[in-house]
Amino acid sequence: MPDFSLTAEQESLRDLARKFARTEMAPHAAECDKVGRFPEEIYRKAFDLGLMNLNVPAEYGGSGLGVTEQCLIVEELAHACGGMTTSVIANCLALEPILLGGTPEQKDRILKPFCAEYHLASFCLTEPSGGSDAGGLKTHARREGEEYVLDGEKCFITNAPNASLYTVFATVDPSLKHRGITAFVVPRTAKGVTPGKDEEKMGHRASSTSTVQFENVRVPVADRLGAEGEGFSVAMRTLDQTRTPIGALATGIAQAALDHAAAYSLKRQTFGKAIAEHQAIQIKLANMAQSVHAARLLTWHAAWTIDHGAKGTLESSIAKCFASDAALHVADEAIQTFGGYGYMKEYPVEKLLRDAKLTQIYEGANEIQRTVIARELLAKYA
Amino acid sequence: MEIVVCVKPVPEAETRLRASADGKNLDPESVKFVLAGYDESAVEQALLLKEAVPGSAVHVVSYGPGPRTEEVLRSAIALGCDRATWVESPNDDGAAPGVAARALALAVAPLPHDLVLCGKQAGDDESGIVAAALGELLGVPDFSAVIDLRWDPAAARLKFQRATEAGQETWEAPTPCVVGLQQAWNDPRTAKLPAILKSRKATIAKVPAGAPPPTGPQNLPEKFELPPPRTGAKMVEYQTPEEAAQKLVKLLREEAKVFP
Amino acid sequence: MTPTVLVVGELQDGHLTGSTLEAIGVARSIGGATVVGFVAGSAAKGTAVEFGRFGVAKAYAAEDARVDSAPTAVTAHLLRPVLESSGASVVLVGGTTFGRDLLGRLAIAWNAAVATGVTELSPVEGGLRVRRPIFGGRATETRRLVAERVGVAIRPHAFPSPTEAAVTCAVEVVATIEIPAPLLAPQRLGVARPAGGSGPSLTDASIVVSGGRGIRGPENFHLVEELAAALGAAVGASRAVTDAGWRPTSFQVGQTGRAVSPQLYIAVGISGAIQHIVGMVSSRTIVAINSDASAPIFKVADYGIVGDLFQILPALTAEVRRARGLS
Repeated sequence: MPDFSLTAEQESLRDLARKFARTEMAPHAAECDKVGRFPEEIYRKAFDLGLMNLNVPAEYGGSGLGVTEQCLIVEELAHACGGMTTSVIANCLALEPILLGGTPEQKDRILKPFCAEYHLASFCLTEPSGGSDAGGLKTHARREGEEYVLDGEKCFITNAPNASLYTVFATVDPSLKHRGITAFVVPRTAKGVTPGKDEEKMGHRASSTSTVQFENVRVPVADRLGAEGEGFSVAMRTLDQTRTPIGALATGIAQAALDHAAAYSLKRQTFGKAIAEHQAIQIKLANMAQSVHAARLLTWHAAWTIDHGAKGTLESSIAKCFASDAALHVADEAIQTFGGYGYMKEYPVEKLLRDAKLTQIYEGANEIQRTVIARELLAKYA
Repeated sequence: MEIVVCVKPVPEAETRLRASADGKNLDPESVKFVLAGYDESAVEQALLLKEAVPGSAVHVVSYGPGPRTEEVLRSAIALGCDRATWVESPNDDGAAPGVAARALALAVAPLPHDLVLCGKQAGDDESGIVAAALGELLGVPDFSAVIDLRWDPAAARLKFQRATEAGQETWEAPTPCVVGLQQAWNDPRTAKLPAILKSRKATIAKVPAGAPPPTGPQNLPEKFELPPPRTGAKMVEYQTPEEAAQKLVKLLREEAKVFP
Repeated sequence: MTPTVLVVGELQDGHLTGSTLEAIGVARSIGGATVVGFVAGSAAKGTAVEFGRFGVAKAYAAEDARVDSAPTAVTAHLLRPVLESSGASVVLVGGTTFGRDLLGRLAIAWNAAVATGVTELSPVEGGLRVRRPIFGGRATETRRLVAERVGVAIRPHAFPSPTEAAVTCAVEVVATIEIPAPLLAPQRLGVARPAGGSGPSLTDASIVVSGGRGIRGPENFHLVEELAAALGAAVGASRAVTDAGWRPTSFQVGQTGRAVSPQLYIAVGISGAIQHIVGMVSSRTIVAINSDASAPIFKVADYGIVGDLFQILPALTAEVRRARGLS
């Protein structure tokens, strides 16, 4: 059985994240959301404190943390702002393929300079023709001597307008379907790489998202991760690692929603008493608390499972799926608790609903999570 | 410069205060003890001086029970202190100021110390005399209410101001001495994540405090009380600002009796 | 057995300070005690007679110019032989910076049980019972000092000044003694009166008016200062104001600024973050003026006005002036 108490080290890391979130992120969350501003100065501060590149081993300049510690940090950051958190942890998503598929030489050559200074990276898998249907991606990689030539378009890529490095999944042979997919590392400075305009989003508005065009981009063989055809596996194993922290991100949003609703319910008076004394609100808050609690524990259990060497696909899919659905539901109920005020942008809760929604869609849409869960589940009965 | 900084683990500012079961002390259950307030500023000052004076080192010392004292020392190491010593107190009861000073002196006296830095007062008992008591124990001058502390290498002296009731005093003093720091930085440095991880592995020297002599002066806790809960402000109802002003002055004069 | 209580005098502008007088009052209230005074400095003999104004018939004077620009440790050193010769078992001092420093040295040099910031005091078997605020005034502790020698620094303004009860004060000038060289090496080079206008200093004032972020800018701070002037109050500020540079950090009231406990504290445009609260919550009466009815400051205030401070302050200043008969 896992010990549910945090070690002193884990508490210190969580406290660091909480302090950064409350003092540096939270005061700017509403303003960045309102105008869609990408707060680079906050991301730089996060980098300075060591809150970026959490999954990269210390020998390459990252923080080298396990999934559990990452989740503790991510939940605290997301409590302050889901969008900022998405951009902070997008590096982990983009760099994981290098950790999983790269040679020691590649890790040394690419990760060390990247982690030594403030840089952003993007994970480029999704295309206009398919996100969930990643196996059917169309970006093409044509081998020419010691280079590949990449052509195609990626979309909905986090950090793309601001990234200096892209981890790109392209196919060397569409007829091989997912067995043709190959992973590459492409610097922004490569000729033919064009990130698009930052999209106007429903939520996570402090995070930047855009298309990335690859037009005759020449990529040296030395920048291919793993062998041809191994890319799909690298992508899936990457998502196995990053899925659980998304559960933590969703939990952070849900916790923030619960905090706002509970505090408000003690102050707001109707029918002669605090609304916290009305049973309708009590039941709402109780249900919200159950959801937040469960989301956190599912996330922690998935993290523990992975940190102890297991693949954790079932656990992490359950955690991500449950926590993101919980975040949406809890944010919705938080707005309801605030009543008319909850609908006003002047109050902080409607942002939480808009931020929660994305967690059901990205990093593996919940429909896909459910097919994964079903597959993993049924394998036990076969 | 060899700098020793003395710190005390205190409940964090947001702690809900509660009396212990016997009503004598703060109930430490669910209380998070941290490096805070003037002590946090003392660490910041020590590190600033270390950066300003080449070849300097900072040794952080604390007296108290485990695990909170060890945790506070690790957080000081994560901020940049080079070495740490823990004088372990036998119990949890919050030592009287003289006892704390004597315990700290056990660790500080044998260390090289040009400057011993303390925060002006701890955030809990706020006695504010440890710096003076330490000065007496070490046989050196002490200065409290210090702000704007600098080292002048040409004069080989410390230069500082003291913000006292008399006004702002300008001082210079040779080392060694003890300084009780009143200066507080609103944004002391935050320990970075790699330093936090590294601090977990740091070696902390331990010195047993020893029991105070049984026949010495005793400073015994009897009661820990919270003020009667504030019922919230009496709100002044008004139509015009003038009416609000008149009503408030009347209340201050006749009800609160604090009008000059 | 009548205990001898020795009150250590602190001087300001050549006279005993207000907190010294409060300490004298407390000493005299200890039933059956003989009270003596002590003063050190270049004008000690001349100022020691002031103890007589408040009913103290004997005082010791360490007439020594070396004291004036030396650390408090020197005064503590000069006091030691007087503690022996006077037979004092209790030392009382005003709880200013000087008083606390002195007590810290005495705790060790005189091997005494000590307490600072004391707001209540009573003799008990074997010593003294004291009460003092802790946690920035959010709690109070009662402690028993059981010892042959006890030292107490009283919290300024917690005790009334004694009534004048003039007696002749016999002043005994103590012999000059050797002072260890390390204590004389530091030098006080000068004293500058507190900056910040003609009002009382923040820590001494019995009324404080503080402005916060709601003031919106340094150009509006005069509204706070005008109200303070009308009340004869000191001016304070929240951290938001000093961080923004609208006023120097010496104005800051709060966890990392000054702690104040005046009779009346008026918080204007201050929301009431805990860091500010701990600096002023032990004030006797707290008034909050804020446009936000849900601001946490209203939870600790005794009286509250929800409104636009740009309208309320001028009206309040005018009403205060009218009520005080000021032109």
